[in-house]
Amino acid sequence: MRAYLPDYNLRAPRSLADALDLMAREPGVWRAFAGGTDLMVLLEFGALQHKNFLSIRHLPELRGIEITPEHVTLGALTTYTHIQRDADVRREFPLLGAAGRETGGIAIQNRGTLGGNVVNASPAADSPPALLVYDAQLELVSASGARWIDYRNFHTGYKQMDMRPDELLRRIRLPRATGDLKTYYRKVGTRKAQAISKICFAAGARLASDGRIKDARLGLGSVAPTVLRCARTEDVLRDRTPDEATIKAACAMLVEEIAPIDDMRSTAQYRARVAANLLADFLVNLKK
Amino acid sequence: MARYIGKEMSRVDGVAKVTGRAKYAAEFRAPNLAYGFIVLGTMAKGRIREIDTREAERAPGVVRVFTHLNAPKLGPKASTEYAPPRNTREQDKSFRALQSDRIYFNMQPVALVVAETYEQARYAARLVRVSYDTERHTTDTEAVRGSARAPSQGSPPKPRGNPEAAMKAAPVRVEAEYRIPVEHHNSMEPHAAVAAWEGDKLTIFDKTQDVYGVRAHLATSFGVPEENVQVVSPYVGGAFGASLRPNYYPALTAMAARELKRPIKVVYTRTQMFTGHGYRPYTIQKIALGAEASGKLTAMIHQAVHNTSAFEEFNDNTTGFTRQVYACPNLLAPTMIVATDLPTPTWMRAPGAVSGMFALECAMDELAYALKIDPLELRLINYAETDPESGRPWSSKALRECYRLGAEKFGWKDRKFEPRSMRDGRLLVGWGTATGVWGAFQRPAIARITLRPDGTAHVTSATSDIGPGTYTVMTMIAAEYLGLEIERVKFELGDTKFPRAPAQGGSQTTSSVGSAVHGAALAVGAKLLTLANQDASSPLKGATASDVEMLDGRLRLKSDPSKSVSVAGVMRLNNLSEVTETFESRPSPERQKYATMAHGAQFVEVKVDPDIGHVRVTRAIEVTACGKIINPKASHSQEIGGVVWGIGMALQEATEIDHRYGRIMNPNLQHYHVPVNADVHEVETLFVEEDDKVVNPLGVKGMGELGMVGIPAAIANAVFHATGKRVRELPITPDKLL
Ligand SMILES: Cc1cc2nc3c(=O)[nH]c(=O)nc-3n(C[C@H](O)[C@H](O)[C@H](O)COP(=O)(O)OP(=O)(O)OC[C@H]3O[C@@H](n4cnc5c(N)ncnc54)[C@H](O)[C@@H]3O)c2cc1C
Repeated sequence: MRAYLPDYNLRAPRSLADALDLMAREPGVWRAFAGGTDLMVLLEFGALQHKNFLSIRHLPELRGIEITPEHVTLGALTTYTHIQRDADVRREFPLLGAAGRETGGIAIQNRGTLGGNVVNASPAADSPPALLVYDAQLELVSASGARWIDYRNFHTGYKQMDMRPDELLRRIRLPRATGDLKTYYRKVGTRKAQAISKICFAAGARLASDGRIKDARLGLGSVAPTVLRCARTEDVLRDRTPDEATIKAACAMLVEEIAPIDDMRSTAQYRARVAANLLADFLVNLKK
Repeated sequence: MARYIGKEMSRVDGVAKVTGRAKYAAEFRAPNLAYGFIVLGTMAKGRIREIDTREAERAPGVVRVFTHLNAPKLGPKASTEYAPPRNTREQDKSFRALQSDRIYFNMQPVALVVAETYEQARYAARLVRVSYDTERHTTDTEAVRGSARAPSQGSPPKPRGNPEAAMKAAPVRVEAEYRIPVEHHNSMEPHAAVAAWEGDKLTIFDKTQDVYGVRAHLATSFGVPEENVQVVSPYVGGAFGASLRPNYYPALTAMAARELKRPIKVVYTRTQMFTGHGYRPYTIQKIALGAEASGKLTAMIHQAVHNTSAFEEFNDNTTGFTRQVYACPNLLAPTMIVATDLPTPTWMRAPGAVSGMFALECAMDELAYALKIDPLELRLINYAETDPESGRPWSSKALRECYRLGAEKFGWKDRKFEPRSMRDGRLLVGWGTATGVWGAFQRPAIARITLRPDGTAHVTSATSDIGPGTYTVMTMIAAEYLGLEIERVKFELGDTKFPRAPAQGGSQTTSSVGSAVHGAALAVGAKLLTLANQDASSPLKGATASDVEMLDGRLRLKSDPSKSVSVAGVMRLNNLSEVTETFESRPSPERQKYATMAHGAQFVEVKVDPDIGHVRVTRAIEVTACGKIINPKASHSQEIGGVVWGIGMALQEATEIDHRYGRIMNPNLQHYHVPVNADVHEVETLFVEEDDKVVNPLGVKGMGELGMVGIPAAIANAVFHATGKRVRELPITPDKLL
């Protein structure tokens, strides 16, 4: 049942500085409210335990897409629609474009933000696997300053992350030079849209001129308590040609590396098999 | 010449719907309205030990909190609540809220909080504290299927021939078990009622498929004469069977309104809809088919078990149609029921038929593979030329033509028999077929027409329009036979102030109510003819009612249209400001000499991704033979909707129950999946029209439900053809294919 609205506070700070100031003075009391597309679902089910929110949607410091020679930097408030409308981002980071296209429906794409997707920390989220493949970095800001961390170290456990209660996610930075990365993205649900992923698979790799895999990156969703960069499987692939033996070894490692569970959406066994099947499909198609 | 019948017509109520002028139950207002919010229990079986409403009563705006302790007892229930497709009158044992401390199912209403605003009521509902004495519950049909029994209503169908012996002797046999989970209707519009009393007169706006049924239910509940109750339900945003019977909320709403002496509104939340009405029961079906090597069926044994509630019987008649689909001399087809601690199931689009035909048509496919005979060919070998059950001739049956046309359009002859033999790149391609059946039901119905000299007509009948386009088709029929432009005819429904019509269910509205409207229009013509012929100089002298027709304001001889009189003129001469006729149509005795059914053939292509087990229905061709098509536009829309629902039933729909708590886990549209647009690809629906004057004067049969009947089986058969895997348990989710 929907929560009782008068129990909740929503404030709209005038500036980022004001927001951070408030969060520093009352740490843990205030949390960000961006698009609200995760938070409102909890509210509707009466499961939104946190009561005090800061609306951040209007803060310019968290908006916009900036392109420098080394990086493309996305404001935390970048929506899925923003991503799809930006031809440069789509071309250079096709996995992000694919994730954006397959997230929710149009209304959610207009309203939901990349920052919210990251901080909501659902293991079933669809953009994080893409961000993992692109070696994304996060800028966390607080009244006492800003810090950059590698996204792959951000999630520390189920809904746990390396973020202090006085911090906001401000920007997400993606190193460029992804041009020759061959990419692969599959979101698997019971239906073609509006379904929480049974498994989400993002991958990228480069082949050297001798046909060996130079650089393999695998980001998976819905197979562990957090979204997962599968480093051990990547190790198996490094410097090997994507032949049958390699594929077999990599799939075996992947199944070991992930830790899927049974739930209403799927079974652990299904998730493990599909993860392996998609990895094989990705590798087979690398040579083409 | 027909000017409307058989021509494409957009909905006459379309503009009202898209502009918001069409009012649905929850949108009605009344002065001094208060809002009720239902509190649901949290355990599956036992008694309420204590219920503490003090905090809720103190919450802002709260007017009263009703529980079993202070809610008045409702009167004994009527036994009139029957609904299509079967006409059995059954003593009503339906669940009513707040009548005792007994808990029969999880998420059962235990309190109604009434407040000045909806939000206040919803908030206070959270403050009601309930404790229970729990008893062991059973919600898992699988666990109790051993105690299944025959329904007590009606006599169990007799076996035909000697099924067991014939099965034993059959040279080729297949046997398998099929399962269908609990499914919910999930119409977009939530169920809602607004009730207001004036003395002992009640007006209630309700979402219902049967205003007269709700009226009888409320009249007996409150011990008032039926005439004192007016039920109003002009628009229904989908119901699919979930509003055939009065659910618990209209009486609950009216009770609160009576106690508080002010109008009350109660609207289900999506979650409350999952126990606030019935559902398609959990169904286990065992089928054995025996055949000669030629493919000729020699024995069919089709046994179904489905759940009902602990307090009431519901019989989905799962195996009912099995008796009439194929020519087979030996048959046994009982449907059994078993009690569970869940709400009572109910009819859900194509009840019984879609479930039974899922099992039967999959089993036919299994038999085709056992025999190495093309699945379509097998159906033709066993084509029932007459009704296998009664031996009577069909009033009409163009199923063979449906098979032929569908196969040709689909390209069935290019199908490779072996499973896993067709590919599209990495994808496995499968082609499946199945037969669909439904009845050609008709029930008594009354319509009234008032024709005025200005050439406008007002037509009424208390039927419902839950979406199929009843407003439009009735307007078309009236306009056709009154000879008026469609804009000059106004049809109204959904109100007990109009003449009685049966519930909208069982795909019988056009046949029943359409026949009444047709009859009333002819009665108006007959009346005018009598009046005209009082004048000695009438050019229609000597003509009988069947000799004349109306067109463009004139009553004329069919055989010689130049002989005519002005309708307005006749009224003027007789000093009439209008002519009103009420007509009751009834199924003709002629029908008894025939078997009357509607049929269809479906051809489906699926593509299965072998890496993830995902099934896409890339092409569906559905050919149906259901008599005369009055409005092709609405009819195609019905059949397309049926195909889409069939896709959902085959691949996605399931109400998941956590049996430890006897609780539904996915009572919302986030986790109860129905297809999205991206799941639906090419769908082509075709009609083979039948000229059938036996079924009713309009020649129409049931079609709204027919459209989905064969689809789940056709999809399951196509999945087998694609993958070689026979999934006998719906829905066919990806994990079942890997
Ligand atoms: C119908 C529907 C369909 C959906 N489909 C998908 C889907 O297909 N794939 C998918 O991945 N998700 C899906 N979602 C989930 C949701 O839309 C996304 O996770 C979205 O990106 C969340 O962003 P938001 O801005 O709405 O987050 P919010 O709801 O505003 O916030 C989510 C969480 O992040 C925190 N937060 C947000 N921004 C910041 C910030 N800058 N700094 C610190 N903390 C922050 C909030 O405090 C909160 O805890 C769906 C949701 C709905 C309702």
